[in-house]
Amino acid sequence: MKRFTLNRRTMLRGMLGGAAVALALPPLEAMFNSNGTAYANGDELPRRLVTWFFGNGVALENPFDPNNNNLLWTPQGQGEGYTLSPQLAPLANVKEYCSIVSNLAILAKHPEVRGHHTGVSGFFSGFPYIKLDPMGANYSSKFGGPSIDQVAAGYIGDQTYLPSVQIRVSKRIVASEGPTLNYLSHKGPDQPLQPLHNPQDLFAKLFGGFVPQDDPTKPLRLNALDAVSEDVKRLQMRVGTNDRQRLDAHLASIAQIQKQIEAIAPECVPPAMPGETNADQDGKEPLDSVNKVMADLLVLAFHCDITRVASFQYTGSVGYTVFHMLGQSQGHHDISHDANANDLHDAATVKTVEAFAYLLEQLKASPEGDGNLLDNSCLLLGSDTASGLRHSDYNQPCIVAGGGGGALRHPGIHHDAGGANSSDVLLACLKTVAPDAATVGGGPGESTTPLGAIMA
Amino acid sequence: MLRMFFSRPLPGVAVALAMLAGPGCYVGVDGDDGSSSISAGPTAGLTQGDSGSSGSAGSDSAGSDSAGSDTAGDDPPPALEPAAASLRLLLHRHYRNAIRDLLGDGPAAVVAPPKDTPINGFDAVGSAQLALSDASVEIYETSARAAAAAAMGDMARIEAYLGCAPTGPDDAACHGKLVATFGRLAWRRPLTDAEVARYVAVAQQAALDSGDFFTGVENVIAALLQSPYFLYMVEVGAADPEDSSRRYLTGHEMATRLAFFLTDSTPAPWLLDAADDGLLDDADGIREVATLLLEEPAAKDALDNYFSEVLRLRELDTLAKDPAVWPQWSPGLAQAMRTETLLLLQDIIWQRDGDFRDYLDAPYTFANNQVGPLYGLTPPGGGEWGDGFLKTPLPEASKRGGILGQGALMSVLAHISSTSPTLRGKFIREALLCESIPAPPGNVSTVIPPAGEAAPTMRERLEQHLTDPGCAACHMAMDPIGFGLENYDGIGIFRTMENGAVIDTVSEVNGATFDGARELGGVLKQQRAVSVCVIRNLFRHGAGHIETSGELPTLIDLEETFEARGFSLKALLVDLVANPAFRMVGTPE
Repeated sequence: MKRFTLNRRTMLRGMLGGAAVALALPPLEAMFNSNGTAYANGDELPRRLVTWFFGNGVALENPFDPNNNNLLWTPQGQGEGYTLSPQLAPLANVKEYCSIVSNLAILAKHPEVRGHHTGVSGFFSGFPYIKLDPMGANYSSKFGGPSIDQVAAGYIGDQTYLPSVQIRVSKRIVASEGPTLNYLSHKGPDQPLQPLHNPQDLFAKLFGGFVPQDDPTKPLRLNALDAVSEDVKRLQMRVGTNDRQRLDAHLASIAQIQKQIEAIAPECVPPAMPGETNADQDGKEPLDSVNKVMADLLVLAFHCDITRVASFQYTGSVGYTVFHMLGQSQGHHDISHDANANDLHDAATVKTVEAFAYLLEQLKASPEGDGNLLDNSCLLLGSDTASGLRHSDYNQPCIVAGGGGGALRHPGIHHDAGGANSSDVLLACLKTVAPDAATVGGGPGESTTPLGAIMA
Repeated sequence: MLRMFFSRPLPGVAVALAMLAGPGCYVGVDGDDGSSSISAGPTAGLTQGDSGSSGSAGSDSAGSDSAGSDTAGDDPPPALEPAAASLRLLLHRHYRNAIRDLLGDGPAAVVAPPKDTPINGFDAVGSAQLALSDASVEIYETSARAAAAAAMGDMARIEAYLGCAPTGPDDAACHGKLVATFGRLAWRRPLTDAEVARYVAVAQQAALDSGDFFTGVENVIAALLQSPYFLYMVEVGAADPEDSSRRYLTGHEMATRLAFFLTDSTPAPWLLDAADDGLLDDADGIREVATLLLEEPAAKDALDNYFSEVLRLRELDTLAKDPAVWPQWSPGLAQAMRTETLLLLQDIIWQRDGDFRDYLDAPYTFANNQVGPLYGLTPPGGGEWGDGFLKTPLPEASKRGGILGQGALMSVLAHISSTSPTLRGKFIREALLCESIPAPPGNVSTVIPPAGEAAPTMRERLEQHLTDPGCAACHMAMDPIGFGLENYDGIGIFRTMENGAVIDTVSEVNGATFDGARELGGVLKQQRAVSVCVIRNLFRHGAGHIETSGELPTLIDLEETFEARGFSLKALLVDLVANPAFRMVGTPE
């Protein structure tokens, strides 16, 4: 007799087998093994990966001394015993989950080093940005390869309802310099993924798309998409190579949407629709409220295993967010380039770290097995430059947080990477969700050597 | 007839190039993707346009063959090497308007297509390069289904598409009529028999499952609207029967390109009929059609949208200003500024059909109770300002004239708390002269000296910055243009003093001295690169790519026609769409 095992993935297997069995999620205690580190059937607990971005770097120790590139960000001391800097102080409750990595070098460089563009594409994908500068037009760029969250989604995205989600908090984004600065997630150079900035839209995406199994529209929707796929395939025969690849992406997305239409809703109690819509009030962005709601929704999405991969763009590259809750009236990019506004930039960084810390604390507060969601997550925080004033891509701020399902060093450390390839951090993070991954990035940014110091 | 170009030479380009190529400028690095540095941009283009090294006199003879002829354009100029076309995703506004024209206002109100992603400053360029994501496909499915459901509330329209009385859910023939008629309008071409059969099957399954013929109709409308043939402009072209090395857009592809370019929407039935009848297979037919399209109200809206994009007016929707500096800034003021700029453009293009270049130095504007007081203007007829906009002369003392002295551009091209001569200069180089400015490099100090006794004004602060050779090479191309606009603060208010010091606004652009917006506009409008750039920008939007070196000479030649027609933008649009550069494509690669 075949034994029925409780398994989260039964949600999807049930779908594929046509036997619609909706399972109770979050997982029942019965599902775990005796010490709560895995499912009873031996399957590992799910692991998650999040990239978390803020724009324009951090404040300098002394903006008026051109020979001093020290950041106010940098902790005191090395190893486990490090002391959080005042900028990092909001991490106090989750410090043991945080490794701070200093002195990384972005080797994934286009020969034309370009402020912000080099930093964001190089750091988050390990590929040099691709220059899009036809004569006589505005400069632009796109990512040189997939961002690390999408590499991770390539490994584990098929195990959940959504392969990944993209979240944006501040809407003060620079869209005029191409996809590199506009978006954080890129499935490939020509496939940037637009984030959701309205929490109600994120709610709908995570919890509102499930179709009841007996809904009569379900087969009709699938049928329509089959016809559309046939059109796409026929169109592919008439177009050039680039367009064929674009249409391949279109086909893959149609297949993904068909899978979502067929998926069975987890019996995870959905939260109430948030009231927050991220609409400005008197020209001010509701940053605190949006950050909180977005983080809460993401934690629930992990808890219900709706997705395991996310990108979180708190502020934009070259973004002009106004931290009005700090009494500021100037744009973030402006203050990052104003030596006299170093204190304002410093305060904005502290606020930003608070926002990141909130997500970490909520994950930590969400039990899973014997531990919590943070134990089974890897969150990579980064920016697009070290300090706006120097436009430097050396020693950009970097935090690797979470237990990575036991793959990351715990408690965390402050590590001086001494100019190591920043892609080594990407590979370390990737290995927390895809232990077999052997390489990330490309060209000068390629890494086959995960940063061992931050790994367990 | 030999026409001399010496009256409108291109000295500025050479000046700018000399500066950009100077030592210390970081632009000299060629990309590993084969793209060249910025300095090659204007040189390459205009040198080709001038027929090599023979100087400006050469361009006369090169261009005079085709200039001024109404039927010019059926034979491509030898220099034209059209770029291979790409699939072009409908822009957000295209999609919504197409739904409106196909199904009505109700369905258009319930769709929410993905946001556009601009590349090189153009939504249309991004839409021709990027691939769809899961989220986009999901959005298109949701929108199509919502639009189809809403459309079922307008049975008169549905019955007109059907043209038959269904005998029951299994009336496949009647479904077939709908697929053929609605499908042709949605896909902008007739469907093949196989395509009709494929979609009739979709309709039949839904009708038979539900027992309702019209459930089939609703589902098949939703399906047809998810097809790539609706979502993308397909511009593959067909080989010219007389010369197989040339490819022209087919009549239906041309109808599609014309309609989306000139009216921001899908081609109307009459336009598809014209394509069916072969009327879009030659330049004369295209001119005739374009002239008709420009008479539609949608043409005005489409140009408003186009200018909101290239002149960045839409950024006013979310533009933040420092309330500590400009407490009077408000969303209402920002929208009034946008309206002011659009009204000036509309006046020149539609009311006067005048010299389009007047938009750079027109000595009047359109003011209301928001922008009038901001500029210190009084209503032309006396009395009080109201909500409505009045055509108002601009006093010479304000140095205002044209869009460069208007609140909209002065606000968008500024920081949140201050002006930015750099952003203003960069915009004029890029958007008005079609020159490339390189991105700021990494690993350089970006410190600008603070305002103080030594440098009280923004100009003086930036001029200190310009003593750094690493910065100067590129900033010299931008900042001085902005210095001449420093009388207008970061929301366009006129001022003569900054931090207690008099602002010096006498400056230079491309070797010509100017002071203020009106004089800057006057200098710019005499430069051929500016009128060529009007053409280049329209082409980029209309064709979905930045013109290649194989296309630029043809566009430069078109400038002669533009001049011959008194720089009428309406006339230019007709000449542009009939031009081989707009009608031809390369072989798919």
